Amino acid sequence: MAMFGYEFMQRAFWAGSLIAVIGPVLGVYLVLRRQVLMADTLSHVSLAGVALGSVLNLNPSLSGFIVAILGALMIERLRRAYRTYSELPIAIIMTTGLALAVVLMSLKQNWSKSFSSYLFGSIVAVSDTQLRLIALVTLLGLLFFVVLRRPLYNLVFNEETAVISGVRVPLLSFGFAVFTGMTVAAAIPVVGVLLVSALIILPASLALRLASGFAAAIAIAVGAGLIGMFSGLTASLYAGYSARGYDRVDFGCFIALGNRTSEITQLQISPYGEKIV
Amino acid sequence: MILSSLRDVVFGYEDEPVIEHLSLDIHFGQFIGIAGPNGAAKSTLLKLILGLLKPWSGTVQFAREREDGLNIAIGYVPQQVSSFNAGFPSKVIELVRSGCYTRLGLFRRFNSRENAIVERSLKEVDMWEYRNRKIGELSGGQKQRICIARALAQEPEVLILDEPATGMDLASRTGLYELLNHYVRQHGRTVIMVTHALEETSPYLDTRINLERKENEGWQCLVTNLCSAHFGLGV
Repeated sequence: MAMFGYEFMQRAFWAGSLIAVIGPVLGVYLVLRRQVLMADTLSHVSLAGVALGSVLNLNPSLSGFIVAILGALMIERLRRAYRTYSELPIAIIMTTGLALAVVLMSLKQNWSKSFSSYLFGSIVAVSDTQLRLIALVTLLGLLFFVVLRRPLYNLVFNEETAVISGVRVPLLSFGFAVFTGMTVAAAIPVVGVLLVSALIILPASLALRLASGFAAAIAIAVGAGLIGMFSGLTASLYAGYSARGYDRVDFGCFIALGNRTSEITQLQISPYGEKIV
Repeated sequence: MILSSLRDVVFGYEDEPVIEHLSLDIHFGQFIGIAGPNGAAKSTLLKLILGLLKPWSGTVQFAREREDGLNIAIGYVPQQVSSFNAGFPSKVIELVRSGCYTRLGLFRRFNSRENAIVERSLKEVDMWEYRNRKIGELSGGQKQRICIARALAQEPEVLILDEPATGMDLASRTGLYELLNHYVRQHGRTVIMVTHALEETSPYLDTRINLERKENEGWQCLVTNLCSAHFGLGV
């Protein structure tokens, strides 16, 4: 409990818990809509936004946030154009986003140290502003998923029957895309561009293997997200305390190594390729 | 009373038209079958009627409101609706309850009437005892039946089904046709169904729309009114 004595750790746990609630919920819907790579794509697009912000001397977090939302809307638009190749828009936007990020990064030589925190995340360096943004996105997300749970269920089950039964599918899809962009952008300071989809998709994939009902799937995903976040944060804090100080705190994720008996293996993931615990 | 009216409709995919100058009226309270070989644009015709596809030219009208101004509830069971992801996290009863969502809106809770509708819908397709099974564990025919139950739970005035009997055995198919026939005759509902099984369905149908594409002869639509044995070209 001593770790809660530090203000930055309190912020880290708040930021981690909020993202670990809303990320996995979003992940369940993304998996069911067959848009698993959307989070990864938008994180790369957001990186281009961060680079753009830096080059133009704007707030990089804000520009990353806006560009992630714009990227999500472009994917949604392309998804309608390439109906039969649903993974194509994701590939198009991911490569475009990454290419744009590389070009923009090459325009500026003196990258501040904080740029690596966008890539790998730096949960202990989450600022008050970022925490407020994460709280706002989580609140909006919970409202979105609770209020619209019925039309969203019909949407993810079958879009055509949803249209005929009166669900305003284009509007709902649009809202979903905007919210996906917001969540990815808000999660980046916590988990980093490279691991954002781990937080969003892995708990969902575990939940979909275990759950028999829809509400149970959401609950398991959130539970797995929270356990993964807390265990990783705690473990890496104590491991990192002696080794490197506080500057790198990673998070752990549960991954279901799927088989019919649903054996669960806990893997600790580190963006630095080293075992944390 | 006319439910849907198509006038001089042309539609195709990419550059090739698959429906040319089709004019057709579909009346309320009938059991209508759409038949034809593979590639005859049966599903396309359904989607045009429903407004899921927009015609290249011509007009498609579909009555969305009743004379008293209320919306007409439409139940739609698309082709291969049952080919959903086997991992979709839902129990059978959860999926069928989702058919009530439009009627209930965002917040209204399920009451005893809604629960009774769900139970009746599942019993009508003989799937009530499977209500607590995960939907991905069912067979193809059973999946098809719960998707039909979901459409029935909408209490639709118009029920539109695209090859609904796919994967079903003979007894289930006959049960389905009799159920749909019951809805038309006893409750005044309208049923539009794409089918390959003309011999099985003909005894129940009021109107049969036959679509055919012939090599070098173009496209043809034959509308057969089975009630009055009146034959006429609908093109």
